[in-house]
Amino acid sequence: MGPLVGIVANPVSASDIRRVVANASTLQITDRANIILRVLSALRACGVQDVLMMPEKSGIRRHITRAYERAANLKEDIFPQIHHVRQDITTTVQDTLKATAAMREAGCKVIIVLGGDGTHRAVVSQCGSIPIAGISTGTNNAFPKHREPTITGLAVGLAAMGRVSDTIAFEGNKRLDIKIGDRADDIAIVDVAVVTERFVGAKAIWKPKNFRELFVTFSDPEVIGMSAIAGLLEPVSRREPHGLMVGLTPPHEARMRLNVPFAPGIIGAIGIGEVKHMQPGVPVRLEFPAGTIALDGERELAFDQSDDVTITLVKDAFRTVNVSGIMNYASKQGLMKVN
Amino acid sequence: MSNNPFPLPKEKLLEAYTKMKTIREFEERLHIEFAKGDIPGFVHLYAGEEASGTGIMMHLEDKDRIASTHRGHGHCIAKGVEVEGMMAEIYGKATGSCRGKGGSMHIADLSKGMMGANGILGAGAPLICGAGLAAKFRGDGGVGITFFGDGASNQGTVLESMNLAAIWNLPVIFVVENNGYAESTSIDYALAVDSYIDRAAGFGIPGVTVDGTDFFAVYEAAGEIIKRAREGGGPAFLECKMVRFFGHFEGDAQTYRAKGENEENRANKDCLKIFRSKVTKAGVISDADLNKIDDQVLARIEASVQKAKRDPLPTQKDLLTDVYVRY
Amino acid sequence: MARNLSMKDAINEAIDLEMTRDPSVILMGEDIAGGSGGQGEMDAWGGPLGVTKGLWGKHKERVMDTPLSESAFIGAAIGAAACGMRPIAELMFLDFMGVCFDQIFNQAAKFKYMFGGKAETPVVIRGMVGAGFRAAAQHSQMLTPLFTHIPGLKVICPSNAYDAKGLLIQSIRDNDPVIFCEHKNLYASMADVPAEAYTIPFGEAAIPREGKSATIVAYGLMVHRALEAAETLAKEKIDVEVVDLRSLSPIDMDTVIESVEKTGRLVAVDEANPRCSIAADVIASATEHAFKALKAAPIAITAPHTPVPFSAALEDLYIPSAARIADAVRKQVK
Repeated sequence: MGPLVGIVANPVSASDIRRVVANASTLQITDRANIILRVLSALRACGVQDVLMMPEKSGIRRHITRAYERAANLKEDIFPQIHHVRQDITTTVQDTLKATAAMREAGCKVIIVLGGDGTHRAVVSQCGSIPIAGISTGTNNAFPKHREPTITGLAVGLAAMGRVSDTIAFEGNKRLDIKIGDRADDIAIVDVAVVTERFVGAKAIWKPKNFRELFVTFSDPEVIGMSAIAGLLEPVSRREPHGLMVGLTPPHEARMRLNVPFAPGIIGAIGIGEVKHMQPGVPVRLEFPAGTIALDGERELAFDQSDDVTITLVKDAFRTVNVSGIMNYASKQGLMKVN
Repeated sequence: MSNNPFPLPKEKLLEAYTKMKTIREFEERLHIEFAKGDIPGFVHLYAGEEASGTGIMMHLEDKDRIASTHRGHGHCIAKGVEVEGMMAEIYGKATGSCRGKGGSMHIADLSKGMMGANGILGAGAPLICGAGLAAKFRGDGGVGITFFGDGASNQGTVLESMNLAAIWNLPVIFVVENNGYAESTSIDYALAVDSYIDRAAGFGIPGVTVDGTDFFAVYEAAGEIIKRAREGGGPAFLECKMVRFFGHFEGDAQTYRAKGENEENRANKDCLKIFRSKVTKAGVISDADLNKIDDQVLARIEASVQKAKRDPLPTQKDLLTDVYVRY
Repeated sequence: MARNLSMKDAINEAIDLEMTRDPSVILMGEDIAGGSGGQGEMDAWGGPLGVTKGLWGKHKERVMDTPLSESAFIGAAIGAAACGMRPIAELMFLDFMGVCFDQIFNQAAKFKYMFGGKAETPVVIRGMVGAGFRAAAQHSQMLTPLFTHIPGLKVICPSNAYDAKGLLIQSIRDNDPVIFCEHKNLYASMADVPAEAYTIPFGEAAIPREGKSATIVAYGLMVHRALEAAETLAKEKIDVEVVDLRSLSPIDMDTVIESVEKTGRLVAVDEANPRCSIAADVIASATEHAFKALKAAPIAITAPHTPVPFSAALEDLYIPSAARIADAVRKQVK
């Protein structure tokens, strides 16, 4: 078997309350399946013959199976062979976690991820040193860059086939590690937000008066979500070693207020407190007494006075595929030339 | 700061738990009584799905209308219909909510905004559009909520109603209680579009999926949706993913399920256990408080069964009444 | 003050008066205003035959064009009725009942009984019935027996403009679900109609012609065929009484039986198909209750047991004629 590429496609991203409160997009299952089909033909065009996919039963697999049947009937040999991870399907984040772990064990060269920040976060928690390539299909998409998936597929294909050196093909990324005493250990890849809601409930965060603290691995004024707050204060690239901490206050109590697109379709005034750099490897203890920690845009962990909460920035924590670097290299070296 | 992290005060949490527990014990008891052969007809139990109906109904007032399903006992209880009348109705007694003329599948109490359980799948959706229309004409801020299962979600009535609600911007919420089975047929077989969010989007209606075993997830999402609908924000679609503890109807051998599925659901997807664990861990309500409610609920269900068994049957004169207001 | 008015205008006037009187009366249906959402005129149609023309101009948002989704809007009308409104839903052709019958016979008709008397559903579902328009099998039926069969529904079918207005106002004010059947071939028929609102109670038949030697029971368009037959028979010295049922559920069997007891002969005319028809029902009931008075076997004159044909040559044969009715009476008096 040649190089194996993993694909994790979350069929249930983009379904939270933000469709109601903020007109957030839906991405239809058929569109998700079509994205994967485009990626698959790009991989095959680069010589990748085998793909390992996360199984799901929300329709993606059915649509892809039908497309494969049609291609076979039309005698089109354009897809690699799909293998599915053998695991029970729970239609929860467990599927992503288990499938990613299985892909790591199977020795995948790269894992392609379809989802928003939440799905990417789940994959990063399990992928170890295997590089990931993100395709944005979620609601909050600060981490995966918007790009035609065919191009992502080509870049992954070239990297997986060893046509590009690792130093060009992959780059290191920062991560935030969250510890709540001994009881919880988690990560974020873009932002950690502390909000006053003290229950997880519907998960999404959309009420700025409840925002209290923000930690980001990078900040970019061009992206959506909590990291946009930091991005509009002080951009920090994904490659710089430090992150950013921003104190947030209810808007009416703040000295400085900033109009921020903190969720798709919601631009609201956020009260800004102190802005500080966050140095890698140095744990920051959370001062705020009780609330919920939202990881990459979703409430995940409730905590109170009795908890000791620390947040640590980790650099070079995981690798991503440098699509832009690979494609520019491919252009210079003529990698796509047909003999 | 209060030590209650939840979006409801303690007494409301207790109320929610009482409702969920009442539904659970009502259904568990019917399961037993049905097996004894004391209950006539068809009975469809809501056990396992309590967080959905309760999480939604906690936001509703009497002026808000719901249209329920064949699996309607939970909706009735959550909407405030009296348990004693319901039990008597299921036993076919003259003292029942519908004087013994409706039975399990047709319990209604319009004074509570409960427009009826319904033996016809998907039939509640058009009716609730009418309720939404009436609320809109009255301008009373009322909302209409139609419940249907993943099976009935494929009825034309539901799809037509989604279109109608969207074009008339009705204060109507479509709630699919997705327990994974249309009677015995898996949703994985029967749903072409695969995602309810996709389907709602096809009608220009925003859709939300929540974990229907988590009362707080349902409560928060439903609260936002209902508040918007009251204020003119139009229809929305809510998918509550959940599990059904029993079969489609009582007497269903459930051989279509995977091995161990029911045990897994009871162990890990029990919305009452999940609720209890959350509120006790947060230190807001003690196990003792909840146990006390459990005892009260059990006693109430026991009394309602005993009363239902004692109550008189309807008589010949009841056969001919209530067909028309005037004929 | 009475004016000479068409049945179509009488129906329009009844709706207008009730909408003006009672703000809970709303009107909905496909194209009942027409032009909604388009670039052209609003109220472009007023229904396919213009029956509701002008009502949108007077009552605006209470007159609602609906999408072509009979289950949804008929169901919405029923739901709104259960929530305190008095909707009038127009089904255009009552043949379309097939696509939304569940909402009518399983929902509206049963709420009161199923819910132990605690629900009221004051909805009116009106639409066109009857043949003679060359509209073929799916736009011409007389489905009155189907509706009449269902406990909980009231079924009305007027034969003239005066009755149409009074019966429709009664239907709107009535607290039970009413199926109001308008014969499309009677829309243009003229009668003296008072300008003010008035009601005609349900379950009261009319006797448009008195006679002593035979009773013809009919409703809707067939009343006119019966009167035509009576006119012919009068020339043959056969003195016929015509009973116009007007309301099929409830049905005024007392008047029918009284008439049969007087004449001793019964011809029941029905534009519906013969099996389980209104005619069959009337004959069965009269036979049971006035058997001794009968001097001849009652005769049912109905459409044949076929769908409504398209070709004029066939449709004219399908619809019961005055000649067939007259022949039946002649057979009885012979």
